[in-house]
Amino acid sequence: MTSPLRIPGILRPAEISLTFEGETLRAPEGESLAAALLAAGKRHLGDGPHAPRGLLCMMGVCQQCLVRVEGRLVQACLTPVRDGMWVTAA
Amino acid sequence: MTVVWDIAVLGAGPAGMAAATEAAQRGAKVVLLEESPAPGGQVYRAPPPGFVMPTDADRRAGDGLRAALAASGAALRLGVRIWGVGGGPLVPAGDAPAPFRLDGLDAEGRPFDLTARTLLLCTGTQERIIPFPGWTLPGVMGLAAATILLKAQGMLPGRRVVVAGAGPLLYAVAAKLLKHGAAVAAVVDLASHGEWWRALPALSARPDLLARGAAWRAQLLLKGVPVHAGARIAAAEGVAVLEAVRLQKLQAGPERRIEADSLCIGHGLVPAIEASRAFRAQHRYEPGLGGWVPVLDAEFRSSVPGLLVAGDGAGLRGAAAAPASGRIAALAALRDLGLMSSITHAKACAPHKLDFAQAARAGGAMAAMMALRPALVAAIPPETLVCRCEGVTRAAIDAALDEGALSMNQLKQFSRCGMGPCQGRLCGEAAAELLARRVGGREAAGFATGRLPLRPVPMDALLGEFDYADIPVPAAAPI
Amino acid sequence: MKYDVAVIGAGVMGCSTALHLARAGMKVVLLDRGPICREASGVNAGTLTMQMTRAALIPYALRAYEMWLRMAEWCDGGHVLATACPGLSVAFTEQEAAMLEERARIRASAGAPIEIVSAARAREIEPGLSQHALLAGHCPMDGFASAYLTGRAFRPALLKAGVDLREDCVVRDVDPGFTLDTAAGRMDARRLVLAGGVWLGEMAGWLGVPLPIKTLINQLVVTERMEPVMRTVLGVASGLLSLKQYANGTVLIGGGWQGIGDNARGGIAVKPESFLGNVRLAAHAVPALREARVVRAWLGLEAETADALPAIGPIPGVADAWIIGSVHSGYTSGPYMGRILAQAILGEAPELPLFPIDRLLAKENAA
Repeated sequence: MTSPLRIPGILRPAEISLTFEGETLRAPEGESLAAALLAAGKRHLGDGPHAPRGLLCMMGVCQQCLVRVEGRLVQACLTPVRDGMWVTAA
Repeated sequence: MTVVWDIAVLGAGPAGMAAATEAAQRGAKVVLLEESPAPGGQVYRAPPPGFVMPTDADRRAGDGLRAALAASGAALRLGVRIWGVGGGPLVPAGDAPAPFRLDGLDAEGRPFDLTARTLLLCTGTQERIIPFPGWTLPGVMGLAAATILLKAQGMLPGRRVVVAGAGPLLYAVAAKLLKHGAAVAAVVDLASHGEWWRALPALSARPDLLARGAAWRAQLLLKGVPVHAGARIAAAEGVAVLEAVRLQKLQAGPERRIEADSLCIGHGLVPAIEASRAFRAQHRYEPGLGGWVPVLDAEFRSSVPGLLVAGDGAGLRGAAAAPASGRIAALAALRDLGLMSSITHAKACAPHKLDFAQAARAGGAMAAMMALRPALVAAIPPETLVCRCEGVTRAAIDAALDEGALSMNQLKQFSRCGMGPCQGRLCGEAAAELLARRVGGREAAGFATGRLPLRPVPMDALLGEFDYADIPVPAAAPI
Repeated sequence: MKYDVAVIGAGVMGCSTALHLARAGMKVVLLDRGPICREASGVNAGTLTMQMTRAALIPYALRAYEMWLRMAEWCDGGHVLATACPGLSVAFTEQEAAMLEERARIRASAGAPIEIVSAARAREIEPGLSQHALLAGHCPMDGFASAYLTGRAFRPALLKAGVDLREDCVVRDVDPGFTLDTAAGRMDARRLVLAGGVWLGEMAGWLGVPLPIKTLINQLVVTERMEPVMRTVLGVASGLLSLKQYANGTVLIGGGWQGIGDNARGGIAVKPESFLGNVRLAAHAVPALREARVVRAWLGLEAETADALPAIGPIPGVADAWIIGSVHSGYTSGPYMGRILAQAILGEAPELPLFPIDRLLAKENAA
């Protein structure tokens, strides 16, 4: 939990490992995938027509945080991280 | 045997939690459906399991509602994605109204459906962001989004943050960022000093909220955070991600550039009316309530019998008013179902109606500040994307309007704006405002036809396993 | 001021008729109670296939196909992104195979270049096709359009041709001669063309003509943009599936599965069983579709006469009154039907026979 973005003074579950575009990241289990990626400095999550995509609404409405988990399209803000998750840009 | 619920409540925010609790405590068969893994909605969003955060007033209020809900006997369906609504008036011509039907995917992603005599929509709101140059840069997020990130995920949106938009959320987010060690490079408030002064009388109906707001502002003052009143974000800059913002007074003037790695910006909240539109309930346009809202009576009944709407989804009145509105709606439903006498109902309702009126007054003043400001739409440059799902610029929308698209449906047909997976949620407000300028207002512009699915639904989960022989193919077409 | 002709209904039938008449020199008013091409013509699946066209209509569809593909040439640049591609009509069971062979034979003898191919050959033509296919009808000249562009395509051409286009202008009644009672006041016209789709029955009623028209409530489903999974227009032997992937990656699923609605309310609700059945059939044909998310389902109203053949021609007993519509897969042949009706109205012999409605008129009940 070395990201400067994680607020100190909060008890979090143990860290797990996940991969984003081949790079290993660590995050507390159950944290939202959107938050975990943000904490790891991964803000560019994919590309829409004519513009990049990244997290925007955090509530499952805007469809801008789409990524693929084991190939399956998901909204990162609605997906809790699990150990071994394999994530790629959408 | 299929259960027919007395009341199905859609959305477990403060209104939904309170409504389900009230109805279940009085013996009704209630089911509460919620997309998140835990009840709470946006304002009282629960952190993930195992996260323990220092408690605050909001956390305590949310926990209180959750505890009462858990003890009430209401059935909870958490982690579900409701994609379909039906029944009620959505039956063949001449048929009597049917019980309401909800279709969804459960927490494991499997299809399910349920039936209820009454449907109470507590779907809350979503954030409105009016497009501006650079708004698609990663690093730009919503104001409500930042709140969720901070409160539910315990995370800062960036190290050097600009907070922009309108309403009290601005100061709440800025204060919280400071508290947790982020640098707040600027607060850019669309509201002028005058607007805040004029809102004070209504705000004083809730001295606790007033005090909280004053405390936030004091913290900003202490830390020397520049607060720009009556100003907007002119542009977000950066090569691949956000690097800086440019701000400008609404009355025009020089632009000021501020470096930042995060811009948290929100232009108000809009009631989420997808489900009530799907039922063809009547709606009206009320800028002070967030825009299009269902037409409701004093007890939150819509124009569709058996369909009620409570909470901010019924019109922006703030989280404090939401539980009262949920309880009023639940009691109305029980009365209409014949599960409560009118005398008991009147007595039970009275205190909640008082609560609601008081809370709504302060909430209303805040909502007015968050109402859509047409100047922001006018300022959208031609080459700026309005519809992000389909890549439709302002120029393309203007061209479609020039070519005779004079309703939201037709604008969609001519430009593809709103045809993508967000189903018009990101682009709808800006597109409607652009249309409104041509047709004389938002009422005339209307909204696009409400259709299913209420949210994109994975084909895979919908289909399940099936045999070809299972498919009920209708009679062949004539040759 | 008296128009030479009033066309009521600005779908593809009305637009095409109005455009051809205006270019021939007539003073035309084209009215619609809503925006142009906002009903069936703007919301259908846009399939331009011979394999869902009734045999009797194949000669018309073949000519209309060319018109759609070359729309920009005859419609002042307006177009609907019409795309030519092969079409396959697939059979998954022995029974369907038999139906398919029969229908292919009938359509081929009506002039459509359809051949029966093996499943293996079908998968060469369409790699996205499921392993479950037994047999397919192959038509090398099939295609599709983006129906939602139809209004935008016609509108400038109509205006340029001098058509008085009155959108959002409901017509309440028509008196003989003809005087129209419209939302914009009275209008007079020497000739009348009823082009009102599922509302043709009501319109015929203005003239005292009893014409029963059935309304079908067709469901359509579209996915979000996805990677390429198919490159043909796909259907099934029974005609109850249409499937295509657009250049932008979205896949449109149709086939005439029925939803809930009527003439008064329009299409008001998707029927979950129809939705599921239609989408399952699509995924059965192209398994890769399972990867997609469904973004929207909507409804369109399609007119059908008692014998499921068009209502195109003069209105019996009412001089200078004409009717066009209820073609069944009418979008496919729409532009051409408008052209030949215009020919008849102009006093020329239409290139191909019309479909007079005498055969359809309800018998008067004995008093």
